[in-house]
Amino acid sequence: MSLPQFRLLRPRSTEEAVSFLAKHAGNIRVLAGGTDLIPSMRQKLFEPEYVLDLRGIAELRGIRPKSDGAAEIGASTTLSAIEKSAYLRRHYPVLTEAAATVASPVLRNMGTIGGNICLDTRCLWYNQSLTWRKGCGFCIKKDGDLCHVAPGGTKCWAAFSGDTPPALLCLNAAIEIAGPNGTRRIPLQEFYTGDGVNYRRLLPNELVTSVFLPAESAGYRGVYRKLRVRGSIDYPLAGVAVVMKRSSGQVTDARIAMTAVNPAPLLVRRAGEMLIGKTVDEALAEAVGDLAARTAKPLTTSALTPEYRREMIRVFTKRAVLAAASN
Amino acid sequence: MSDFSIIGKPTAMIDAAEKTTGGGKYTDDLSVPGMLIGKILHSPYPHARIKSIDASRAEKLDGVVAVVIGSDAPNPYGILPVGHDEHALALDKVRYVGDNVACVVALSEAVAEKALELINVEYEVLPAYFDPEESMKAQTDLIHDNKPGNLEKDYHHAFGNPDEGFAEADHVAEARFIANEVTHAAMEPHSTLASFELNPHTGKLGRLTVWSSTQVPYYLQHKLSLVLDMPMAQIRVIKPLVGGGFGGKSEVIPLEIIAAVAARKAQAPVKITYTREEVFWAHRGRPRTIIDLKTGIKNDGSITCVKARVVQDGGGYCSYGVVTILYSGALLGALYDIPNIQYDGYRVLTNKPACGAMRGHGTVNVRFAFESQLDELAATIGMDPAEIRQRNLLKPPCITVNGLRVQSYGLPECIEKTVERSGWKQRKGKLPKGRGLGIACSHYVSGAANSIIRSDMPHSTVNIKIDRDGGVVVYTGASEIGQGSDTMTAQVAAEVLGCSLARVRVIAADTDLTPIDIGSYSSRVTFMAGNATLRAAEDVKKRIAAAAAKKMNCATEDLAFRDDLVFKKGSALPVVKKDQIEEAEVTQAGASVSGRVEGQILRGSLQQKRKEEGPKEWMTFEEAVVAAIDFHGALTGTGSYAPPQEARGGKHKGAGVGPSPAYSYSAQVAEVSVDEDTGEVTVHKVWAAHDCGRALNPVSVEGQIIGSVWMGMGQALTEEMVWKDGMLMNPGMLEYRSPSAVESPEVEPIIVESIDPEGPFGAKECSEGSLAATIPAISNAIYDAVGVRLHECPFTPERVLAAVRAKRKDKALNLTEGVDPTAPARFREHGGALCFNGKGPQRHALDPARREAPATARGTD
Repeated sequence: MSLPQFRLLRPRSTEEAVSFLAKHAGNIRVLAGGTDLIPSMRQKLFEPEYVLDLRGIAELRGIRPKSDGAAEIGASTTLSAIEKSAYLRRHYPVLTEAAATVASPVLRNMGTIGGNICLDTRCLWYNQSLTWRKGCGFCIKKDGDLCHVAPGGTKCWAAFSGDTPPALLCLNAAIEIAGPNGTRRIPLQEFYTGDGVNYRRLLPNELVTSVFLPAESAGYRGVYRKLRVRGSIDYPLAGVAVVMKRSSGQVTDARIAMTAVNPAPLLVRRAGEMLIGKTVDEALAEAVGDLAARTAKPLTTSALTPEYRREMIRVFTKRAVLAAASN
Repeated sequence: MSDFSIIGKPTAMIDAAEKTTGGGKYTDDLSVPGMLIGKILHSPYPHARIKSIDASRAEKLDGVVAVVIGSDAPNPYGILPVGHDEHALALDKVRYVGDNVACVVALSEAVAEKALELINVEYEVLPAYFDPEESMKAQTDLIHDNKPGNLEKDYHHAFGNPDEGFAEADHVAEARFIANEVTHAAMEPHSTLASFELNPHTGKLGRLTVWSSTQVPYYLQHKLSLVLDMPMAQIRVIKPLVGGGFGGKSEVIPLEIIAAVAARKAQAPVKITYTREEVFWAHRGRPRTIIDLKTGIKNDGSITCVKARVVQDGGGYCSYGVVTILYSGALLGALYDIPNIQYDGYRVLTNKPACGAMRGHGTVNVRFAFESQLDELAATIGMDPAEIRQRNLLKPPCITVNGLRVQSYGLPECIEKTVERSGWKQRKGKLPKGRGLGIACSHYVSGAANSIIRSDMPHSTVNIKIDRDGGVVVYTGASEIGQGSDTMTAQVAAEVLGCSLARVRVIAADTDLTPIDIGSYSSRVTFMAGNATLRAAEDVKKRIAAAAAKKMNCATEDLAFRDDLVFKKGSALPVVKKDQIEEAEVTQAGASVSGRVEGQILRGSLQQKRKEEGPKEWMTFEEAVVAAIDFHGALTGTGSYAPPQEARGGKHKGAGVGPSPAYSYSAQVAEVSVDEDTGEVTVHKVWAAHDCGRALNPVSVEGQIIGSVWMGMGQALTEEMVWKDGMLMNPGMLEYRSPSAVESPEVEPIIVESIDPEGPFGAKECSEGSLAATIPAISNAIYDAVGVRLHECPFTPERVLAAVRAKRKDKALNLTEGVDPTAPARFREHGGALCFNGKGPQRHALDPARREAPATARGTD
């Protein structure tokens, strides 16, 4: 499969990048690590006239601790840099753990945190070659008007499959978005729509530039559990992140988020309420697991059956809660 | 062992440097002047009649040189003489999604891809068959008109008296096992470069040269001659480095024929390299197999009878199918002593890519079923699973009830050693909950005793040429595909001639240069090409010995060849220091020449000594070679191998498949743990003993054992081709999950040497026999760990969890099927191209076919 022809734009600053985006809006794709974009372009999922290469913009790279304990991570920071950051490991362990599970070491050296946040939603009927998709019939997400996963529906169920966003949601992370009229900052939670096609709230002329981890989220114990068939390379088939703060055995704050089982990474609602003020035991962890499993809506978008993946959300949530509460 | 100077020592592959530095040239690395790129248009339908093909728009596209369709080369071919059911490109029908319809030859891959979109093919879609048991009921719309009931072939064998056998049994177990479809996933995708020379007399296309990633250059030469209507002598097939085959390159793959046909039509060299998706469509892997197995044993553990009904989902073409279904039955024998066997095998056609030969051809899935059932029976009578296997050993030399001759038989030692090394007796049943040990055995042929094309032709022939430079050149048709064939050849020649390995150069798998060898498949190369090499080397050694004996005034029987010397047995040898040998190797490589005697290169210090010495007690290899050339003229030798008549099997229909001059044996113990909440299985360690006759290159044998275990583990746990109505859902290495380095367990290879009476230096095969034991060893270990018996592989976490839940009578959950209530039974009814009524799928936005004229498709910039 040949790579479609395109013009490569290599801006040196965020402003320049944004101006390129504005100029070619709708006919341009952003390349950060390229680990997802390049295979997708070979499959003719994207055939943009322009590719915007962010790798020459120094200001988009780096982990910057703030004096109050917060941290800012440039969107082009590689996942392996995050995985290896002693600062993040100490203050935001759930993020380093999640980053360390992405794909394989080689891919983490290329892949970036911004790319992982903006990762295209995935589906067995979508991530295929043009020839394959023509044989099968196109779907809502690309070129078609129907869904092979939930026929009759008009919604796309392609699953969001990034590993770091559930961890970031648990940490109440915010992201900064640069556009033609300057920058804006939104909570990451508001970034995702829950629709498989237009899965993120980002205008064609905008760019995610950095991630903010608030000082209040530092020091939470955190665990990320990922379901995959192989211990390397695979995207998550289900993923659960848990962060927790305890005081004299009792939970004072907790958040749970999941990935790969919905078109968006989701915080599990009311999970915190169930846990706060209590001592974690098997029964409580089990109950939280049940709650999480009810939030998940896995469909046949990836390997392993949906019901099994929902079960694993239950099991993994329970295990992650117990792990976060153990000393 | 110390009798040998070359074999039996761990030896680096002679092509290792090229491969590890990236310098090696595989087919896709090759390029010839004026070379064009071919791209194949594949069928989007699993079963359809082609009403018309209009390629006129594609032909007009700038950069397109030719478009090839079925009528350009209508002769049928197929790897088996009974299965000539394939064409270069579809003539009238397509039989699977991915079937080959047309080929565009263009200046670049991108242009060719664009042109594919401009070819209009009108299809009449036919009902398709995806399930073999459904397919067998077909009355109409047959996949091949001459195969009623879509049955490629069925065999019904009864050896001994099966009814009596079951009557004698104290315990009978019966179950259905399913092994899902897997593919080779060799690292190198298939690639072929075809180039015609001009005939100097006519100015028309003359001889054809084909470079291809193949395990079988001579079969390719033969099939090319059939399809192109050219004499074989006008076709030269060269096999460059091959990046793994595992059976996926052991027959003629469509692109090999298409590239040649395309080169003929385009009148220019054409290269085609498959994408990974195309490799999955070309396939020829292990078929999904349904095994209904019944085994009877007595209370003492002895097997009285085995009955197997095997249905293989063969895909759209015959390929090796007839052989596969026969192996499945034949290799029920020759491992254990089974007095009564009944076998009913059905090879069924379906609308999916053709299945063919894959590592452990035909035996693997049935072995999984048999070894699992034997384990179950052992549990029934309360016998140790290792012991029940020891209870049923053959007593060789013998001929099994189904006509297989067994001579060397290292299975007892394999079982003994794995049991000992794994601590089986001390640890079995005493591991913590969720952790277990399982044992299983397997075997495989060391080459088929009967070749595909029935004839008395030798299966392997090897020529050796030695010139005055003292260099030994071995010409062999055997195909190095990464398994170490060239290294084995060099080792055998060097051992016989008593020369250093560096002196030997192997020229392999080039039909113009090398004598015929039927290829690298059925684990035949070491045994057969090894024997031919040994004979060729002995042939040439005889001439050297005659000349040397004359010079040394002794009988040829008194001479020994070793360490680059020819000497009288028992004579005092010159002390040849290691650096002198290395110096000689340097001169071989063309560096400084230290001295010459009678025109040949001689090690400097030795040369001086020779002058001082009197009557000869010894000669250097070079001196002996020169003497032989002076004495005989040219110094060449030849040797060939054909399996002996006694090893060629019985007389029943289908008896030709299964017999081998020798069988390898394997026993394995796997240690696994099972997570009972998730169903995830972790393999911690595998002890794998393999009887390879004699390990010519121990490090290579160990590599093959480890590779077999690893590949078997893939089929046991993660690998599976997933189909939805003829669409392969995982045609890539991301979704088709071969184990990664993370999952690879520690494998402890244990080499067992039974010294086969007919193998070269006693060697047998070592690359396939170990695979089949891994799957049941893991399944038996899972049983030991959590008490569930799995009947379907791979043992994915959902299947394991479902079994664990069923055993515990836990919350019933259908974990193994799609449970989305809105999920369609047949997804294509909802708008896929097959049966859609109404609004059709939109064309791709940038699909050139949407555009008005080819001129626009060219673009302006």
